[in-house]
Amino acid sequence: MEKVFSRKKAIIWGFIGLIILFIFPLFLPRFYVYLISIILLTGLLATSLNIVLGYGGIFQFHHAVFYGAGAYATALMIIKSGLTPWLGFLVGPLVSVLLSLIMGIICIRLSKLYFGMLQISLGSLVWIIVYRWYSFTGGDDGIHGVPLPDIISSPTSAYYFTLVITLISIFIMYKIIKSPFGSALQGIRDNPVRSEMIGINVKRHQLLALIIAGFFAGIAGSLFVVVDNTVFPDMLFWTLSLEILIMCLLGGWFSFLGPMLGAAIIILLRTFVSTFTSYWTLVLGILMMFVIFFLPNGVLGYIEEKLSKKS
Amino acid sequence: MDLIAQIFSTKILSQIFVGLSRTTILFIVSSGLSLILGVLRIPNVAHGSLYMIGAFTAYTTSMVFGGGNTGFWMSLIIAPLFVALISLIAERGLFQYLYEREHLMLLLLTFAFSLVFGDLVKMVWGAEYKSVPVPPMFQGYVYLIGGLPFPLYNFFLLIIGPIVAIVLWLIVNKTKIGKIARAAAVDREMVDAVGINVSWVFAYVFIIGCLLAGLGGALVAPTVSVTLGMDHTLIMEAFLIVIMGGLGNIWGALLGALIFGLAQSLGILIWPQFGIVFPYAAVIFVLLLRPTGLLKSTW
Amino acid sequence: MLQVKGLSKSFDGFKAVNNANLDVQKGEIVAVIGPNGAGKTTLFNLITGIIKPDSGSVIFKGEDITGLPPYEICRKRISRSFQIVNIFPRLTVFENTQIAVLARFKKTWDLFTPSKKIAVEETEEILKSVGLFDKKDRVTGLLSHGDRKILEIAMALGGNPEFLILDEPTAGMAPEETSKCIELIKSLSEKFGITILFCEHDMEIVFGIANRIMVMVRGSTIIQGTCDEVRCNQAVQDAYLGGSDVCLM
Repeated sequence: MEKVFSRKKAIIWGFIGLIILFIFPLFLPRFYVYLISIILLTGLLATSLNIVLGYGGIFQFHHAVFYGAGAYATALMIIKSGLTPWLGFLVGPLVSVLLSLIMGIICIRLSKLYFGMLQISLGSLVWIIVYRWYSFTGGDDGIHGVPLPDIISSPTSAYYFTLVITLISIFIMYKIIKSPFGSALQGIRDNPVRSEMIGINVKRHQLLALIIAGFFAGIAGSLFVVVDNTVFPDMLFWTLSLEILIMCLLGGWFSFLGPMLGAAIIILLRTFVSTFTSYWTLVLGILMMFVIFFLPNGVLGYIEEKLSKKS
Repeated sequence: MDLIAQIFSTKILSQIFVGLSRTTILFIVSSGLSLILGVLRIPNVAHGSLYMIGAFTAYTTSMVFGGGNTGFWMSLIIAPLFVALISLIAERGLFQYLYEREHLMLLLLTFAFSLVFGDLVKMVWGAEYKSVPVPPMFQGYVYLIGGLPFPLYNFFLLIIGPIVAIVLWLIVNKTKIGKIARAAAVDREMVDAVGINVSWVFAYVFIIGCLLAGLGGALVAPTVSVTLGMDHTLIMEAFLIVIMGGLGNIWGALLGALIFGLAQSLGILIWPQFGIVFPYAAVIFVLLLRPTGLLKSTW
Repeated sequence: MLQVKGLSKSFDGFKAVNNANLDVQKGEIVAVIGPNGAGKTTLFNLITGIIKPDSGSVIFKGEDITGLPPYEICRKRISRSFQIVNIFPRLTVFENTQIAVLARFKKTWDLFTPSKKIAVEETEEILKSVGLFDKKDRVTGLLSHGDRKILEIAMALGGNPEFLILDEPTAGMAPEETSKCIELIKSLSEKFGITILFCEHDMEIVFGIANRIMVMVRGSTIIQGTCDEVRCNQAVQDAYLGGSDVCLM
């Protein structure tokens, strides 16, 4: 993208965007504040997936597990431990990191499709345990009405909390992609044999990437608890994992902001379409087919192609 | 001691049979999935939706024919054929243009189909669950060792399972098209070069695979509530079974379905609340020892 | 510096490398030649850790490095270029080489410093020494085949190797590109003191720059010696020329 948009333009637009994001809750109704909060944290989730998927070339088919685990850990920590709720926000991402470390060590021995399938198996195991453990996790009902510290309990304050955390997280992830580790990761994606030959321990680097992705997915999960005050087992289900994949694809998975854009498009469409039909999944399915056939590089990829053709 | 042993064994036996009849359904659906995965290299996420469509179609057919024995047998014929028709349209209309793309794209396309099918079922049949009556000829019980009653319909499933397995084996191994399909699975270009229209071979395999999903749905219909969402859990289980058994290996699907079905029913016996976790744990255990599955995969 | 003793590897019963021996002294340029399918690339793969041998050993500077994983071999300052161009297609020439340098400095674990700012001088040095500096910002997909093979070598140099293995470095190159490559190999040996092991099919090149030659046929070492020794060796002639009495070249 840097090749197409000049640095100055990008900074100016970014600045304007930031100002809008900070001001709009003052004059838009509560519903939109909630909606943008959801877009932000889902965009964060999709961007975290893209670290391993688009930049790492790893077949992460069940990313939602780390999101759901972070959310459940946060909610359960707040409710069951009796300690300060802020600890919940620490525990959530920590649990996700632990889970991605364990699952990573188990799955990283395999590559490509087999990695994805083993991850789906492990993820399904986590899901079904959460689903059946009614006494601890609330099972199918999930957990509702998680109490939050006053400072972030109103929709607007929850929004600002989400905004700040998301911006910081995105910034950190961007730095990581631009760092030597990010270069090595992309090298591994494009040519693992060569990377190994020039001195990179491929499996270990991939494992670190998985942990980073899991960490930020866990943060997204904790943010969901803040915004929605609930957790439910579907957050760990494979359908959500594929939806996040679609967001990355739709926005463009070779660009950094693609997944965020994809998340925004899908959530906005879902909200809009659901006002006049209950068949949103049908619309999503057709949209997906359209993207697969006509926009394989996603929206941002398409725009980039068009703009570079002009110049 | 004797009494306990007796009770224990009949209870276990009964659970084993229950597990085995569940195995039949799982096997029929998974074998279709495995076939498509092995020959076409497509992870067909829509397989669960086709199973669901099979079940709902069986309901309607059964109702149309009065819910009796005729209705049942008709549904066993019509539902799989209807599902096969849908998959033919999908394959010729959209799938065949994507064979050159990466697996991920094909997987996402089948996922898109599952979304579309899911909502189409909701549109056509509505959101409430449907009940398909057990056909009169299979109502009642069979009496096992120890006098334990076992539903006659489940017994019927136990018999159907091996029959389907044998028929499938004959088609794949003994017919000309089966041999071509197996060759195409290994080396598509060679088969093309020999002058065979690989495209139609793929279509043929795809339709048979989907037909099996529809059959599974039609067979399961009298034993469960036919609901939306039955596609989601089943596709997950079918995939795990296929992965456990070896991609593209039909006997692997049988073995996987056996392990899965038995682990589930015996698991519930040992630990009622979490019994359902046992099959998932079994899959992981197998994959840790043999990551490519129990039997040889065609990949 | 490098000794290969009795190295063997079979694939499903086919003996690709059968009791191969090789000896390379420090500062030498040694060539491995042999008919197609003789096992040269497999030998290189065995030395660099991409595959593990069934038997035999590889000793480097007195240390047994048999069967170590490739990234560790690289850390021992043995680098390798590939016969079929094996680079990072989506990155620029500079980025390709830079990754190799970053890996050498173990900087690939650095999560926060922008890549653009690290190891720039070292990378540019390497690009200048191979003659690719003016093309450093080009995406590799746009390079000529010859330039890509030179990039292969540049990436191998990223690890600051003492020992460089080049697998058919001039394969597919046009004549001017080939002579440029030969000059490069010579300068790497003379100016930078790097010990070089390579394999080639072009006999002119082999006899032109190699100090010693090892001949492989059907996975085994027939002879290792100077150019003259190899030229007039009967077994070599049998392998290449079917037993006629003419000295090679």
